[in-house]
Amino acid sequence: MAQLIKVRPTKIELVKLKRRLALSQRVQKIVKDRLSILTLEYLQIAREAVAAKRKLIDVYSEAYRALSFASGYHGYISLEKELIATESDAKVTAGSRNIAGVRLPSFEPMNNGSPMRGYNMADTSSWLDHAAELFEKCFAATIELAELQRGLELLGMEINRTKRISNALEYLIIPGLQATIKYLNMKFEERDREEKGRLKRVKVLLAQK
Amino acid sequence: MLNNLPYEKLLQECLSGELRLVNAGLPRSQQRLSDLLHEEYPHTACNDGSTHLFKKKELEYLASKTSPDEQKALLLPILIQLGQNQAEAAIICQTDVTPKVISRILDMPVTPQQGRITIYKPQLALLRKTLKTTTQYVFSTKIVE
Repeated sequence: MAQLIKVRPTKIELVKLKRRLALSQRVQKIVKDRLSILTLEYLQIAREAVAAKRKLIDVYSEAYRALSFASGYHGYISLEKELIATESDAKVTAGSRNIAGVRLPSFEPMNNGSPMRGYNMADTSSWLDHAAELFEKCFAATIELAELQRGLELLGMEINRTKRISNALEYLIIPGLQATIKYLNMKFEERDREEKGRLKRVKVLLAQK
Repeated sequence: MLNNLPYEKLLQECLSGELRLVNAGLPRSQQRLSDLLHEEYPHTACNDGSTHLFKKKELEYLASKTSPDEQKALLLPILIQLGQNQAEAAIICQTDVTPKVISRILDMPVTPQQGRITIYKPQLALLRKTLKTTTQYVFSTKIVE
């Protein structure tokens, strides 16, 4: 049963409660809309995350296979010698995007625009080029998965929070306000009836005199 | 009866905050696709002071679906209004190009009515899947009985 809110039984309080009820119903509608949108986005991101994870595993296994072919062709030592000077910083554009009040991270790998990877093209084979190309894909896939995973976490937390608010509104606040308004209305009606009874009694007393 | 007036007050403040929160991430201004295509980091400022980053892939996708003249007229992010009915959403069309682009992306004819295109949940999901950063939700605070 909904709990009554302790208020003075006056008309002003009734008006205030009615206003509060209108605000709560308005918020409830928005919260429900928001919850449905967050759930829609969550499911979409979850599906994408599964696909991205599969892609990541495939790309990594392919890349390591290609690297093992390249190292088999060149030999570990000469390959290491070629690749030692090719290390470069990974460049990623990081920002955020907003979904219904939730800020999700947004990453995009930056392309340096150069087809050169830093190793000597004359001394290396196409096996190494293929492996390098695949590892670039690995990097892009890792970033994509990182973005999706973090998005999932943030959306999940927000869905939980929104659900709590929605449930509080639906099962506690709005029923409480409605019950209090009903109680106050009944109290006013009772007062009116008492007043009418009193007036009748006075009328009878006056008539007897 | 509950003696919880301070709690009630706090709750009301929370609820008002919730209303502010949902639309806090709206962009301050929409930008032309043609301008965004030439930016190194295409972004727009939001009402809450944060920045909204557009993905270059999406911009390029939109560019592939539009002519150069349409690119100049297309304003991004495209706003999707929610709140009238839970089952549907409305795309706000500020220019004539938006319905054309939406029609090409959804691969179906769309008719704007009073500057809005009504779409349903499956189409909304498809649109959001394709245009993650170039669309944005707007929550309407009107109550429809």
